[in-house]
Amino acid sequence: MSEESTNIYHDKVVIRLIQFSIIWALAAMAAGVYLSAELIWPTIDLGQFWLSFGRLRPLHTNGIVFGFGVSALMATAFYSVQRTSHVQLFAPKLAWICCYAWQLIVLTGGLSLLAGLNTSKEYAELEWPWDIAITIIWVCFAIVFFGTIATRKIKQIYISNWFYGALIIVIAMLHIVNNLALPVSMTKSYSLYAGAQDAVVQWWYGHNAVGFLLTGGFLGMMYYFLPKQAERPIWSYRLSVVAFWAFTYSYIWAGPHHLHYNAIPEWVQSLGMVMSVILLAPSWATMINGIMTVSTAWEKLKTDPALKFIVLSLAFYGLATFEGPMMAFPSVNVVSHFTDWTIGHVHSGALGWNAMITYGTFYFLVPRLVGADLYSVRLANMHFWMALAGTMLYIMAMWGAGVSQGLLWLSVDEIGELSFGFRDIMASMAPFYGLRLIAGLIFLGGTALMAFNLFMTVRGREVVKVKIPAVDPAYGVAS
Amino acid sequence: MSTQVYSFLLFKSLYQPAATFETLSKANPSPFAILFRYSIWLLVLPPLFAFIGASNFGWRLGADEPLVLARESLILVSLGYFWVLVVGLLTTAIISEWMADTYGADAPFGRHLALITIVGEPLAIASAAHLYPSVFVNILVIIPSLIWAMYLLYKGIPIALDIPPERGMLMASSLVGWLLVAAVSLLGLSMMLWTLGVGPLLGV
Repeated sequence: MSEESTNIYHDKVVIRLIQFSIIWALAAMAAGVYLSAELIWPTIDLGQFWLSFGRLRPLHTNGIVFGFGVSALMATAFYSVQRTSHVQLFAPKLAWICCYAWQLIVLTGGLSLLAGLNTSKEYAELEWPWDIAITIIWVCFAIVFFGTIATRKIKQIYISNWFYGALIIVIAMLHIVNNLALPVSMTKSYSLYAGAQDAVVQWWYGHNAVGFLLTGGFLGMMYYFLPKQAERPIWSYRLSVVAFWAFTYSYIWAGPHHLHYNAIPEWVQSLGMVMSVILLAPSWATMINGIMTVSTAWEKLKTDPALKFIVLSLAFYGLATFEGPMMAFPSVNVVSHFTDWTIGHVHSGALGWNAMITYGTFYFLVPRLVGADLYSVRLANMHFWMALAGTMLYIMAMWGAGVSQGLLWLSVDEIGELSFGFRDIMASMAPFYGLRLIAGLIFLGGTALMAFNLFMTVRGREVVKVKIPAVDPAYGVAS
Repeated sequence: MSTQVYSFLLFKSLYQPAATFETLSKANPSPFAILFRYSIWLLVLPPLFAFIGASNFGWRLGADEPLVLARESLILVSLGYFWVLVVGLLTTAIISEWMADTYGADAPFGRHLALITIVGEPLAIASAAHLYPSVFVNILVIIPSLIWAMYLLYKGIPIALDIPPERGMLMASSLVGWLLVAAVSLLGLSMMLWTLGVGPLLGV
C-alpha cells in the first residue's frame, strides 16, 4: 500500500453520509409538514391509502430517526473516532457498506410503511426482514467503530466515543429484544410478547431509543464537536465521565412512564417515574458541561455561525430533559398523556436539540471536509433564526393544544358527567394545528436553506486529504 | 455612578430600548426601588386581567362551552398566578446575576432586576389578552410579544451589563434555557394543582 493510503483519514464516507442525512431530513420533514396539514384538512390524502395519516406518520418518524438521525450519527462517529484514535477507519470497505446499505434499508423500509406493512410497534414499525437487515448493518457499524477503537494509537478513549459506543451496544440490544417475533409470511409477523408484557418491552425499547440514539448518540456528537468548534477542552472531563455512567445506568429504567395509568403493575410505573426524575441529574450535568465549555469561547461567535446552533441546542436540550421528568409525574401525566403536549415535547427535543446540534455540526464539518469557506454565512444566520422561530412556534402551539385537550377531556360537571365530547374538542384544535403547520414550514424552509448552502459549498470540490498526525508519546498506546 | 433610575424607564424602553439599556448600564439602582416602583405594577397586570376575563366570560379552550371557575377558586388561582410571577421575576434576576459572573459581567443586582423587568414588560402588556379568555387568541397575542421580549433580552444583556455582544448572546441563550424551563414548570405545576382539586373541576 502507498504511504498515502495508510496515512490519510477516511473522510469521503463521512461526507456521503452527511449528504444522505440532509436528503432524509428534507424528505421526512416534508412528510411531517404534510401530516400536520392533514390534521387540519383530512381530505388532502386524496383517498390514497399510502398518503393517509396512519401510513405517512411512521414514514415521518422513521425517516427522521433512522434516515436523518442515524446517518448523521454514523457520519460524525466515523469522523471523530478516527481523530480521537489517530488511526484510519477499521475496515473502510465495511464503512461504505454501512453507508449505502443503511440508506437502502431506510428507503425500502419507508416504502414498506407506505404499502401498509407495519408491526404496530411505535418507532419499530418495520417488519421482520428489515429488522434482520438493520441488525446485520448495525453489527457492521459496530465492527468499524470498535475496530477503530481497538487499533487506536491514543491511550485514552475520549468521552465522545463512550457515548457512540453506548449508542451502538444499547440500540443493538433494544432492537433485537423488542423485535423478536414469529414470522408468518415475508411481510407479516407476530410479536413474541403479549399484552402488558408487550407494552413494557415496547416502551423499554421506545424510551431508550430516545435515550441512547437521540440523546446518547447526539451527546457523543456534542462532546466531540463543541470543544472542537470552541477550541477549548471540555469544562470538566471528570463530570462528563460521571454523567455518562449515571446517564447509562438511569435511562434504561425510565420506559414505564409511557404507561402511566395503564394495565402494568403500579410499582413498575412508580419505578419508571422515580428513575425519570433521577435522570435529570446526568442530563443537566452534561448541559452545564457544554454551556461552560462554550462560555469562554465567545470570540468564536463573531466568525462561526455553527456555534450559535450548538449553544441554542443546549438550551432546548435543557428544556426537553426537564420537561420529560416533569411529565413523568403521575399528577401531570394524567392531564398531559395522549395530548398534543407530548408531540410538543418530542419536537422540543427533535427540532431544538437533535436537529440544531446536527445543523451546527454540519456547518462546521462540511466546509472543513472540502477545504473551503461556507458558501454563505448570511444564509446560515437566516437559517438559525428560522430554526429558532420554527421550534418556538411549534412548542407554543402544542402547549396550547395539549393543555386545552387535557383540561377539556377531563372536565366534569356538577353531577360528574364529562362536560365536552371528544369529537368537538378535536374539531376545535384546527387553529393550533394551523400554527404548527406554519412552524413546520418555517423549520423545513430553514433546512432547505442549509441544504442549498452546503451543496454550494461542496459543489465541484474534492474531499481534502487529511494526514494522520504523529502521536505524542505521552498519550500514545505503549506498543 | 448614578443611583437614580430614569423615572420613565418602563415607558422609554418600549420605543427606545437601546437608549434605555444604555442609561441602565450607567445606573446602580436599588433593587427595592425597582421592585416596588416598577416591577410589581407590571406583575399585577396578568393576574388582574385573567381574573376579570375569566370571571366575566370563562375560559374558551376551543370547545363551544366556556370553562367557568367558581369565584373562590378563581381568586385562589389569580393570587397563585401573581405569586408565581413575583417568584419567577426574582429568581430570574438572581439567576441572571449568578450567570453574569461566567460571562464577565459584575453589574449589581438592581440592574439585573431592572433588565429582567424591561424584558418581561411586553409580556405583561400582552397579558391584556387575558381579558378575552380564549387560549388560542392568547397564544396569538403572546407569540409576537414573546419575540419582542426575546429581542429585548438579546439586545439588552450586552448593553446593560456592559459585555461584548458575543458574550451577551451566550448569556442570553443560557437565560432562555432557564426561562423555557420556568415556563414549562409553570404548566406542570398548574396541572398538579388541577389534579389536586385547585382550579377547574376535573374527573381525576
